[in-house]
Amino acid sequence: MLALTDFLMLGAILFSLSVAGIFLNRKNVIILLMCIELMLLAVNINFVAFSHFHGDTVGQVFVFFILTVAAAEAAIGLAILVVLFRNRRTINVEDLDTLKG
Amino acid sequence: MQFEMPSLIPVLPELFLLTMTCVILVVDLFLKEEQRVISYGLVQISLLLSVCIVYLTSGAEAEVIFYGSVIRDPMGDVLKVAIYLISAGAFLYSKDYLLDRNLFKGEFYVLGLFAVLGMTVMVSANSFLTVYLGLELLALSLYALVAFDRDSKAGSEAAMKYFVLGALASGMLLYGISMIYGATGSIEFPQVAKAVAETGMDNMVLVFGLVFVVIGLAFKFGAVPLHMWVPDVYHGAPTAVTLFIGSTPKIAAFALAMRLLVDGLEPLHADWQGMLVILAVLSMALGNVIAIAQTNIKRMLAYSTISHVGFILLGILAGTSKGYTAAMFYSIVYAIMALGGFGIVLLLSRRGFEAENLDDYKGLHDRSPWFAAMMLLLMFSMAGVPPTVGFFAKMFVLEAVVSIDMTWLALVGVFFSIIGVYYYLRIVKLMYFDKPTDDTPLTAGLDTRIALSVNGLMMLALGMFPAAILSICAAAVGSV
Amino acid sequence: MTFELFVFYVFAAILVFAATMVITRKNPVHSALFLVLAFFTSAAIWLLAEAEFLAIVLVLVYVGAVMVLFLFVVMMLDIDIATMRAGFVKNLPLAILIAIAMVIEIFLVIGSGSFSLDQFAAPLPLPADYNNTASLGNILYTEYMYPFEVAAVILLVAIIAAIGLTMRKRPESKYQDPSKQVRVKKGEDRITVLKMDAED
Repeated sequence: MLALTDFLMLGAILFSLSVAGIFLNRKNVIILLMCIELMLLAVNINFVAFSHFHGDTVGQVFVFFILTVAAAEAAIGLAILVVLFRNRRTINVEDLDTLKG
Repeated sequence: MQFEMPSLIPVLPELFLLTMTCVILVVDLFLKEEQRVISYGLVQISLLLSVCIVYLTSGAEAEVIFYGSVIRDPMGDVLKVAIYLISAGAFLYSKDYLLDRNLFKGEFYVLGLFAVLGMTVMVSANSFLTVYLGLELLALSLYALVAFDRDSKAGSEAAMKYFVLGALASGMLLYGISMIYGATGSIEFPQVAKAVAETGMDNMVLVFGLVFVVIGLAFKFGAVPLHMWVPDVYHGAPTAVTLFIGSTPKIAAFALAMRLLVDGLEPLHADWQGMLVILAVLSMALGNVIAIAQTNIKRMLAYSTISHVGFILLGILAGTSKGYTAAMFYSIVYAIMALGGFGIVLLLSRRGFEAENLDDYKGLHDRSPWFAAMMLLLMFSMAGVPPTVGFFAKMFVLEAVVSIDMTWLALVGVFFSIIGVYYYLRIVKLMYFDKPTDDTPLTAGLDTRIALSVNGLMMLALGMFPAAILSICAAAVGSV
Repeated sequence: MTFELFVFYVFAAILVFAATMVITRKNPVHSALFLVLAFFTSAAIWLLAEAEFLAIVLVLVYVGAVMVLFLFVVMMLDIDIATMRAGFVKNLPLAILIAIAMVIEIFLVIGSGSFSLDQFAAPLPLPADYNNTASLGNILYTEYMYPFEVAAVILLVAIIAAIGLTMRKRPESKYQDPSKQVRVKKGEDRITVLKMDAED
């Protein structure tokens, strides 16, 4: 039978992959944003699974709101990215060194 | 399913502010460039009316509404009033700065008001869902505000760093919340607390979830080791935005900690106390030591924020109502101090010139003895020199820590705040004993001058009568 | 192994593969496309967990809107891929180490038995006339009315912020103004009658 642990382990693997992705792609902001989306996906899998096994819909409601916020977040993140690119002609994190100290 | 429309009176302050924000958003579209001051006036009126509404609708009892999503309690009321008033001050100080830089736009105020709304939603949240949404409303508005000066390289870079790290922290927080939901089967704080108390402390899943929640929290506070964004954002953002980010969100972060850790996860106090001890000690140490090496005042104040956050955490980790009172007092007082400190930075800045470097404060006494004295009071208060209010804020927190038999922690706090005195006094030395390098007279409007004077003198007045705010905080926390 | 379990493992394998590709591809467009695959497969997995509405929303909203936005931005910005890759190999061992450590830690917590089938028995399949969308909608607009309103405000902030940050007035750009178009009169606006001398 499909157990809660199966879902949670899948969530855990995705979560870890997204953290690894953040370390790997420290230079490329756009892939960083995708890693954050992956992380939220892992969280959502957890919520959906818990909701299924607890037998209540609260977890699904939470996922609904996370999806909403994540869409808003992506819009603002990409807007900032566009502003950054217009100013710097780069999205390479290494070049972002105006602020130091 | 029967649906009863909940009473809307307890959320009237939020409803009013939301309505006014939307009104301002629309009204601003029809204003000409030189009439923009009308939007500004509306913003100030809405904030002041919100204070009145909170006062008129407040009750002594905590009230849970919207099927457990929202709680209206005295602690929330006090924090909301503080947030409204300090935000109004922040908007007032930033007006001239924005006008000088062609940033005086309706969107600035609309986004600012949405951030205020997010903070108040967070302050009166009663479930993980409401906390999360309030937090994101605040965070998304702040990301946009940091990038508000679209042609500033530093601004967009700071916004990008803030955004990536902030989104990461939200992800961590959510992962923790999902674990807690899984272990307790609820997302409302009272039910979670009940379930946690029943299942016992040794539930590994709960502690695991708690770790992620604390990581998310530490980021929002800007506590070490999740402080990397603070100096960059403070430095890169337009000073008006730095002022806003540096003041009220600390009160909101305090509320966030109280709601998540105390309302929701109180039975795990022993676990989160240990985590907060580490965060607090590291924050006080790193903040105070690195601040000494800074030559940019915005960065210096950023590191000073980190050290003050350490003190707020000290009060929370005590886990007693005395500790919570002290932390609440500290966060409100800190927000007022930061408002004044950045207010002076804004006062000295003018068109095409940012008073960012410490050298710009040389000989301020010769240029304006009065505002040098105000800065002196603010710096003394941040350093914790009696009889300013900063001293009492630190003292109450340390008292609370000593009363739970963690004297060593109090000693650590005292040690690092003594180190901290050095860099605050350095500014005082620059202002009073060095020759000015720049003799441009200060050009600030009467409103800014009066507000800054009140702000500076408040440090002294509250220091004389700290009981005024402290008793309000104690009454508010006592009823939690 | 039941058929359900088999389906779950197949989709889980695809999902993990897609996620790995997202974080290791050179070209951000490829990463974005693999992310689309990841969202599709997790929608399938959510169907197994009887969250039908969310599964559809994930595909419609995420794949349909958010990922398209991603692709749009990736293609709009002229990204120099080569320099982005420097340091990738250097960070690889650290990243693998962190990922493995995290997976092991989380597995230890999750696998400790608190979430096994003895603790949480697999729920019985919901009856055929159960409507996931209706039950979600029922509580969304009643119990969760307040969060729902706050979420609406968040979307409004996103609109204001995105427009405020990126919209610039360009005098050289040409656009149609329908209100002017409909007000055009045939006599004086469209034809100009010139008086001129007759030519040979």
